[in-house]
Amino acid sequence: MRYKSWLAAGAAAALALGLAACGSNDTSPSGGGGGSSSGSSSSQGGTINGAGATFPAPVYTEWAARFKDSKGTTVNYQAIGSGGGIAQFTAGTVDFGATDSAMKDEEITAAQKKGQPVHVPTVLGAVTVSYNVSGLQKDLKLDGPTIADIFLGKIKNWNDPAIAKLNSGLKLPNKNITVCHRSDESGTTANFTLFLADTSPEWKNGPGTDKTVKWPVGTGAKGNDGVAACVKQTDGAVGYVEQAFALQNDFTTAAVKNSSGNFVAPTLAATSAAGAGAEFPPDLRFATINAPGAQAYPISAITFLLVYKDMCKAGMQPNTAKLVKSWLDYALGPGQQVAPQLQYAPLPSKIKTAADGKVAGLQCNGQAISGT
Amino acid sequence: MTTLPAVSSRRRATDRVMRVALLVLTLIALVPLVLIVYYLLKEGLGAWSKDFFTTDPTGRFLGDPGGIKSAIFGTIVMVALASLIAIPFGVGVALYLVEYGKAGRFANIVRYFIDVMTGVPSVVFGLFVYIVLVVSQIGGTFAAWKGSIALALLMLPVVTRSSEVVLNLVPDSLREAALALGAPRWRVTLRVVLPTALPGLMTGSMLAVARAAGETAPLLFTAAFVFGTQFDLSQRMNSLPLQIFNDVGQAQDRLVQRAWGAALTLVVLVLLLTLVARLVQRRSRLA
Amino acid sequence: MEAGSIPARGGRSALERSSRSRALDPALRWFLTGLAAFVLFLIAFFFIRLFIEAKPAFDKFGYLGFVFDNNWDVSKEIFGAWPLVVGTLITSVIALLIGVPVAIATALYLTELCPRRARQPLTILIELLAAVPSVVYGLWGIFVLAPHLVGPEQWVSDKLSFLPLFGGTVSIPNCFVAGLILAIMILPIVSAISREVMTTVPPQDKEAALSLGATRWEMIQMSVLPYSRAGISGAAMLGLGRAIGETIAVTIVIGNAPNVPESIFSQGYTLAAVVANEFNEAASDPTHRAALIAAGLVLFVLTLLVNALARFYVNRAERGQRSVPRGMAG
Repeated sequence: MRYKSWLAAGAAAALALGLAACGSNDTSPSGGGGGSSSGSSSSQGGTINGAGATFPAPVYTEWAARFKDSKGTTVNYQAIGSGGGIAQFTAGTVDFGATDSAMKDEEITAAQKKGQPVHVPTVLGAVTVSYNVSGLQKDLKLDGPTIADIFLGKIKNWNDPAIAKLNSGLKLPNKNITVCHRSDESGTTANFTLFLADTSPEWKNGPGTDKTVKWPVGTGAKGNDGVAACVKQTDGAVGYVEQAFALQNDFTTAAVKNSSGNFVAPTLAATSAAGAGAEFPPDLRFATINAPGAQAYPISAITFLLVYKDMCKAGMQPNTAKLVKSWLDYALGPGQQVAPQLQYAPLPSKIKTAADGKVAGLQCNGQAISGT
Repeated sequence: MTTLPAVSSRRRATDRVMRVALLVLTLIALVPLVLIVYYLLKEGLGAWSKDFFTTDPTGRFLGDPGGIKSAIFGTIVMVALASLIAIPFGVGVALYLVEYGKAGRFANIVRYFIDVMTGVPSVVFGLFVYIVLVVSQIGGTFAAWKGSIALALLMLPVVTRSSEVVLNLVPDSLREAALALGAPRWRVTLRVVLPTALPGLMTGSMLAVARAAGETAPLLFTAAFVFGTQFDLSQRMNSLPLQIFNDVGQAQDRLVQRAWGAALTLVVLVLLLTLVARLVQRRSRLA
Repeated sequence: MEAGSIPARGGRSALERSSRSRALDPALRWFLTGLAAFVLFLIAFFFIRLFIEAKPAFDKFGYLGFVFDNNWDVSKEIFGAWPLVVGTLITSVIALLIGVPVAIATALYLTELCPRRARQPLTILIELLAAVPSVVYGLWGIFVLAPHLVGPEQWVSDKLSFLPLFGGTVSIPNCFVAGLILAIMILPIVSAISREVMTTVPPQDKEAALSLGATRWEMIQMSVLPYSRAGISGAAMLGLGRAIGETIAVTIVIGNAPNVPESIFSQGYTLAAVVANEFNEAASDPTHRAALIAAGLVLFVLTLLVNALARFYVNRAERGQRSVPRGMAG
């Protein structure tokens, strides 16, 4: 039968595919075993899954690549937004979560079914107000109330007097403002709206502060990358994205007025200054918005990794718990040197000490985690 | 019926105008296809390279973004598994409807429900598998085999419907001849009807496979997304539609270009399957 | 047909029955019947499970409240799906208004006017539109179609701003682009079914019209269109069902704003798109998850109704086919 030859061809193709696959399979199942990595001495192998904020995704994925090179463990980080990160962490579908907005009380209560959530701060980043306006070069100055009015839809054009008032001497083009914001639950949104609510009563009584708010105007996009794409696409657009995304796409960013009255541009130094001046509670659930400091960038945000205090009791395999702790150690160790290369500020010493303490206190079934 | 008056020039003009209009509209219908193919080739070919097909996406922000190797393998593996489930199942149900159920009440109810299933949006299938398998954490959370099940649910009514049509085309005389020669019913079904209908069955199945290969929504909730190539069905697995979907929302130009390259790859894959299905149909004795 | 074994004339018949093979008969029958029953069970389980999971949302907001309340606010946990329903309706109606006439035109052209040699290639080309995956439509839509349409859209919006649903600023991803993409996606299926119906028009009807002096277009008006009306309606309904359920292409080009759109050129949201976008965040929030599943259920019910309508029309068409053609045979 003719069809027998079709079947034979199909089987041969499948066999070839399988052989090719075996040759290229370079991940080992969780639970140890050798992973193929380029010249690593201590290869612990394995895979851990994490999900959450898009804000630190650039630095986390860079860490993941270097972590794999040095330890052989694959870290699968899915940037789905802080809301998604908290949700997946609570549901137990990931090994660690990530968020730029500390968990709210209700979220903590929901997570306590599995165990006590622990916030491990990792880096600080700047939430830039990025704009893509032909005819408007850099050095735009904005303050909280003006930004709030733009995002409320009250300021509709770039040559509005409110903007001109802050930028005397700058020629403002006559162009409609297109607002770009997040459509998903985002820690970046939470930090941005916290800043807006702090400085603009109308925003505070209107959309308010949360990971997702009812945006009066604008286009919604998924993730920091989506907002960046939205800003890039439209002439006259403005959006809030993390510094790394702004730099990647050559956006012009506004200098924002901080609590000391200075207009500060989102630089690495300004972000670090915000971190240095921030106060924090023992459970490390805090934000660095409007942190004190003459040269601090006011919309600096600190971001966290989420794990359970007793990971194994929460449902994790002991070996996976070891890998997660090793990943956290990397984040607070070598990772801190890598962060500035992507324009993320490493943790100031006080916060880092607290974070180290939290990681050291992680347990597996009541025992401290060792051997990493 | 009274004869129409002689064709006036006005009527002739209307006729000509409408004929041109219909032709123009048909050509307009083809414009999107031309544009899509043009842009796929223009943007996608630029992304194709040896590295594109042999490296995994790295997810890295700076540095090498990687290719789409894991997506290609993931699609092949998950669609293959889904086909292994859906095709025998679908052909089996169609066999029942044609050989045994015929016009009976139960068979008609089954037909009606299969019809209902064809209209269900793919996102609802994904949601269903998400609720039943992922949230309940049966066998882990996100897993490739769950994605295959969602795809199989999608393929099942398509395979059943097309198989039923093909099986109905097998002439009764063939069945009666075999029965007259003393063959038991099951032999007739399996050794006479099935082989005769095989080309048509293959066509219908391959079209269902082509459809499943292009689906994104069912995989979003079930197999999720992962960067590396891995063949463990109980873990998350990448796939071409998901890879494209993730890259679409990016701001970086080279990621968008990777999306175009992956889209071209997916379209080529789907077209190949469709072409093979049509070729098989041509050689069918029942066509 | 209980035939005994054929008298051997050089070997036994290969198809001879043995008692073992007789037992396999009911075995196969039961196996296949079991498969069919399993499908029924699966679909019933599908519907019931979806309903159970969605019920908390319906309990909290009421059936009518969930569908008709105009407030989809995730942070405050208020889930009124009306903006999504409106978005779904607007995009689907645009898809129908654009897609169905073009599909009918292509079907008419291919069956009545097309030169024989061009028929096969043109038909294949139209069907190729169906082979393009929806995510590719989305990719092409957001990077090629939407940006190029902004200029014309703004012009139309300004000219027609006195009408409701027009006027205001045009945004790049918007409801109209989504509707247009949907129109392209449903075109092949509406065209294919319309073609099928049109080829069953009795040739006597057409020849009679032509022999009485009708022009080709008049023949189409008199013989083809009235005859195919029910079938075309069925095809349109099937296209509508497809448009309502399309997720990925829509979510890429519609802008994802959970508000009732002010104009067809502003952003919108659909039931299908919200499920795809928000399920990740709803993983641990029972109310949000129930709301999303309820949205999926509403979508499912909508497509059920539309497909039932489609089936009704197609059956009407088939019944019409079997009846005696009116007037012409006498």
